[in-house]
Amino acid sequence: MREFKPARFLLRGSVLLIGLLTLWWFALLDPMLFLLKSAAGDFVRIEENPSGDWSLRVRVEKTVPATDLQPMARQIHSVDFDMQRSDVITFTFSLPVYWAIILATPGVRRNLRPLLWGTALMSAVELTLLVVFAGIMASGVAAQLAGSEEAGGRWIRMFGVYLVVNVLPYATPFVVALLLHRELRGAVFAIGQPTATRAASDRGHRLERQRAKSNRV
Amino acid sequence: MTKLRPFRFILIFTCCVLFAFGLLLTPPVQSVDVRFSRTLVKVAYCLVMIGGGHATRDAATLRAPGGFGVEMRDGCNAVNVTILLWSAVLAFPAPWKMKTLGLAAGSAIVQVLNMMRFISLFYLGQYSMTWFDFAHAYLWESLLALDTLVVFWLWAKRAMRPRASPDARI
Repeated sequence: MREFKPARFLLRGSVLLIGLLTLWWFALLDPMLFLLKSAAGDFVRIEENPSGDWSLRVRVEKTVPATDLQPMARQIHSVDFDMQRSDVITFTFSLPVYWAIILATPGVRRNLRPLLWGTALMSAVELTLLVVFAGIMASGVAAQLAGSEEAGGRWIRMFGVYLVVNVLPYATPFVVALLLHRELRGAVFAIGQPTATRAASDRGHRLERQRAKSNRV
Repeated sequence: MTKLRPFRFILIFTCCVLFAFGLLLTPPVQSVDVRFSRTLVKVAYCLVMIGGGHATRDAATLRAPGGFGVEMRDGCNAVNVTILLWSAVLAFPAPWKMKTLGLAAGSAIVQVLNMMRFISLFYLGQYSMTWFDFAHAYLWESLLALDTLVVFWLWAKRAMRPRASPDARI
């Protein structure tokens, strides 16, 4: 088995990231947005505006209690909100990052299986993140309308949105690559490398052998 | 040295990540975060001036003479990748001395790279906003995450490296 070298991996990975993200930005972005919209259509109603922004309709069941201004209680069935194209793009960019990580590891044939499985898994993750994001946003709007928004709930929603938008799209490709690529995982976590205990015992055996040899002489 | 137990690692890593990001979003830590960003912009300003460039500084914004300004907001100060690195280091079975070394050296390397990122974005934004958006939100972020993975890899390799034990040094 060829040894993984971190510096080599970093160099290849950086070049591949620049190449694949440029390809994604100029050629793959529109088809990927189309596929994401089609796939997310089963969970959220999405319409694309001429500007490229998305209008989402999320199903939420919530009762808005009666107030002084509105004497009758109302039932909310769905919440509509818009998402800028620049925000939607975040839910497609993890895939080229994942490809770059996998292709940066040596061995074309060895990378084929994690590449295919990972592509499917990453697509599912991106779709899930979009649906979760839409759900969190819609529940926030519904809570605001119902006047039932507490500080704790607001913080949890903010925390959820932060993870879904700022952390998971960047971290997930690396986590999935480490989960699916055995050699990469073994190299990064130094699995299979001789540990201190084993190395010491090896040295001990060697010394014993040397002593036995010198006694024989 | 104990062997890496995958489930233990994943559990501790996930707990550390959730705790640290939760803490990051609390008001007291947010104010520290903003002050940290301002300090980083101050350092970037000094580096630009030392390098013979022209810029002005306004709180957490670095401004070019042409009017273009780049603000270091939450997330632009590499706190996110630092949290991921710290969580991985803390979850890894290594002696505390090695962990401390990993946390300190790893954070320093990440911050140096982030400074390069910030200054390069400052110049890129003056040239093209399209390229700035692409590099800012996607390219540099993922390059920084890749660098962080390699920093962890190098540290883990060092942490697992066999050392001479007293018994073997007869």
